[in-house]
Amino acid sequence: MSAMRHTLTRSLRQTLTLCAVTLLAACGGGGGGDAPPTTTPPAPITQAEIEAASRLAAQATFGMPFEALEPMARQGTEGWIVSQFNQPPTYHRPVILDIVQRRDAGEFDAFEQDIEYLIFSRRLSWWHNTVTANDQLRQRVAFALSQIFVVSDNVDTLQVYPFALGTYYDLMLENAFGNFRDLLRDVALSPAMGLYLSHLNNNRSDPANNIFPDENFAREVMQLFSIGLFELEPDGTVITDINGDPVPAYDNDDIREFAKVFTGLSFGGDNAFFGNEIAPRFDIPMEMFEANHEPGEKQLLNGAVIPAGLTGEQDIELAIDNLFNHPNVGPFIGRQLIQRLVTSNPSPEYVQRVGSTFADNGFGVRGDMRAVIRAVLLDPEARDPSLAPNGGKLREPVVRYESILRQFGATSDDGFIAALGYFIQELTRQHPLSAPSVFNFYLPDHSPAGEISDQGLVAPEFQITDANSVVNYPNFVDAILFGDFVTDAPPGFDAVRLTLEPWEALADDPAALVARLETLVTYGSMDAETRAIIEAAVAEVQDPGIRTRAALYWVLTVPATAVRD
Amino acid sequence: MITRRTFLSHSCSLGVAASTVGTTLLSLGAARNAAAQSAGDYRALVCILLAGGNDSYNMLVPSDASQYGAYAGIRADLALPQADLLPLSLSNTGTRSFGLHPGMSSLQQLVNTGDAAMVANVGTLLEAFDPVAVENGTARLPVGLFSHADQINQWQTAIADGRTSKGWGGRIGDLLQSSNLANGVSMNISLAGTNVFQSGDDAVGYAIESTGNGAANINGYGDAAGFGEYRTRVWDELLAVQQSQVFRREFRKRLRDAIDTEGVFSEAMSQAPALNTTFSPGPFSTALNQIARVISVRDLLGATRQTFFITVGGWDHHDEVLDNQAGMLPAIANGLAEFRNALVELGAFDNVTTFTISDFGRTLTSNGRGSDHGWGGHHIAMGGAVNGGQLYGDYPILAANAPLDVGRGIYAPTTPTEAYFAELALWFGVSPGDLDVVLPNVRTFYSPESGTPPLGLLTG
Repeated sequence: MSAMRHTLTRSLRQTLTLCAVTLLAACGGGGGGDAPPTTTPPAPITQAEIEAASRLAAQATFGMPFEALEPMARQGTEGWIVSQFNQPPTYHRPVILDIVQRRDAGEFDAFEQDIEYLIFSRRLSWWHNTVTANDQLRQRVAFALSQIFVVSDNVDTLQVYPFALGTYYDLMLENAFGNFRDLLRDVALSPAMGLYLSHLNNNRSDPANNIFPDENFAREVMQLFSIGLFELEPDGTVITDINGDPVPAYDNDDIREFAKVFTGLSFGGDNAFFGNEIAPRFDIPMEMFEANHEPGEKQLLNGAVIPAGLTGEQDIELAIDNLFNHPNVGPFIGRQLIQRLVTSNPSPEYVQRVGSTFADNGFGVRGDMRAVIRAVLLDPEARDPSLAPNGGKLREPVVRYESILRQFGATSDDGFIAALGYFIQELTRQHPLSAPSVFNFYLPDHSPAGEISDQGLVAPEFQITDANSVVNYPNFVDAILFGDFVTDAPPGFDAVRLTLEPWEALADDPAALVARLETLVTYGSMDAETRAIIEAAVAEVQDPGIRTRAALYWVLTVPATAVRD
Repeated sequence: MITRRTFLSHSCSLGVAASTVGTTLLSLGAARNAAAQSAGDYRALVCILLAGGNDSYNMLVPSDASQYGAYAGIRADLALPQADLLPLSLSNTGTRSFGLHPGMSSLQQLVNTGDAAMVANVGTLLEAFDPVAVENGTARLPVGLFSHADQINQWQTAIADGRTSKGWGGRIGDLLQSSNLANGVSMNISLAGTNVFQSGDDAVGYAIESTGNGAANINGYGDAAGFGEYRTRVWDELLAVQQSQVFRREFRKRLRDAIDTEGVFSEAMSQAPALNTTFSPGPFSTALNQIARVISVRDLLGATRQTFFITVGGWDHHDEVLDNQAGMLPAIANGLAEFRNALVELGAFDNVTTFTISDFGRTLTSNGRGSDHGWGGHHIAMGGAVNGGQLYGDYPILAANAPLDVGRGIYAPTTPTEAYFAELALWFGVSPGDLDVVLPNVRTFYSPESGTPPLGLLTG
């Protein structure tokens, strides 16, 4: 029943939004109520509007090419977001299935000794999809969610079954524009998550043998996926007690109670059985086996109690409800979404605005992801850097690399953008679904020693910016522009190349070349001094092809680009 | 099966080459007072983080009849067979006997020959454990007890009543660094990227790789001719720009420092002598090999005090404790033995103390082939200065409903991390008067003025 209400509410909201857009269009037409439509030429787009669109692209996509900026500017931020909500989603399962079928048909036999192409398939799918997909906002939000709901291929089993991580990532994509409660529940029932945090085949307690339910998922579903460690104010501030100590949101007893809830799950499908380890099904949710589910009452948070006698599935739904409805979720998840898309240090007021939108989207619905995304991106602090005194975000390496591919016309003979991502992972310490632990690549509260921590700021992405990785990234760009490497495409897949001719056409005017690059990449936020140095350095190079690539090299690697506002 | 690493080795290299050292870099080193100090007085701490919470009750196991029986009863399907345990000859455990996990014969040899010691039941505490206070909710407990995020932090920060990102190794660096600037290279060297342990107010860890000479530089930087000259000149100009935004300032600084330090560091490492000791191919041994190489050029770097940090991940064995540890503990034991051999070869074994830390030990009770987050855990200390062949701290008497048991076989620590760390810090050269700067809560447990060492683990 609640699902139906969500659907009705969502379609009602869509209708309202479409009406609003239609009304605006009508009003902008220049005529009165019954006058025939006049054909007024559209107002020229200003440089400032192009830069604003470029800024939005940096926050909400994996990079938009230069020719896409003017149409984005014409749509306006809200219009673009709505159009993105309406884009059909691009999922991984079909792409992975295709690669697996090609492999099973022997296409890669000459290159494979074992199961490499099974392992490669979800990486190939991720890079190709995110580079070519039109539903960029969904893709970018899913990537953000995958850094909160972390599973990783550093567990071998998740590598060798291609649908394990592929299906998991599709959950991020599917729920990115849905409801957070569905996301939380889908993750709880995901076999990839079950394997990663060991609640797959988690058995009920056996006190006679001193065996108790595994607490791993129960802990992390609270600590990382919903409410966090401490009680939070609506603006994300940690609540402290009279001694100034933070108030924990849960304790070890709570974890043990929730651990009881997440018992009895195993792989689903035909011939499913509890304890199944040899015939995994990663493409469908886990199935509940009542005989292995902990019976009895379970004490949840804030005094809620699951009564004895319910089914395992009912227990899980109630536990998910209990977490979902905790007041922490809005600020806890909202702040991290802001950090992934917009800025590392949102003001408490910004967090509160996003958190309260999570609590109620304006139509009485809690957890409406579209409303939350709108709140994150449309907030004045997100759109106007002058309103964000602590604004700034060190760009994520994966997003920077993707942006190179998308903004400079990555293409191949057959149109498949083949990449495995091992180089970017090794050199910059980031790759989707390849985090070193469930704590992602960096912590939300990482505060680098020195000026940043002196000012009480956090900067998560600096956690992976050490003396090696900071130098590796410019060398990576170097290899792309001056080497014969654009992606690490495996044998059997066409090499990827960039399309730099449109930029080479500007090469005999270094100032114009750099200006256009600057608009595309740093949207007016590059300091004048850096820009002047780059222009002079570019002008120094005589050969037009090398000059173009030199311009890209400098623009893509300087501090003014590494950190965006 | 092609692993990520074999794939990388088959692909074209990205040509990340160390640059030649330009005269500017050498003079920079000289300007930072790089005069080598007396070669005799060198000390190093090597901190090994077993990330995730090592189930150390299966690393160090009671082997006398009654305690083994208690162990096996509590651990159920996690218990190692008594006959498989590797006996330790410990000189100070009286009638109690202990054995190591069957995969750690190299460590058994280190302990039994006196090169290493075990430290029992160490953990984060704010006050001595009081079961009554815990029971009635009045105990002061470490923030985020049992949670990875806080515990892995507290073992590195030595601050169990707060959440800070600065570690006790960083604070040692802040204290000692100015008297020990190794040609501009930080005295804190990390094989694990950015880490809390080595982050201080001024001191930060210098991150190197286990491969090559450890440090990377911008392609072409420092090359005198042609393209390299252009690159060097333009990068220098770009990195001289004063950025008005704080993140951009920090990023500029990191890039500038990385470039500057690489020249000095690579120049020294290129002169590291070949070692006779062979190391196993895995990542832990490879990292220790690199550390041995850095130690071998300590005089070239002008270093008199260094800390090193390694992380070995994957110990959070909620599942398959036995299988996982069987695969992982041998690498730890073998790596330590290889490192010991290399240090002996370098004549530096007396000067280097290697020690483990971990988020926590784990529940003695099983969750069905796995264990969950615990509290106190057992650790390893190795070095010429270690009074080896002994068990420090108090290995709990295991029993159902033991007084230390706070539930599910989680035993409260009997040695606070402060005591463990204070022992290491004092040996390293922190003066007793500075001990509470490095370990803010040390006085709860130990008086630096006492004149007696916290544990007696180290001589000198």
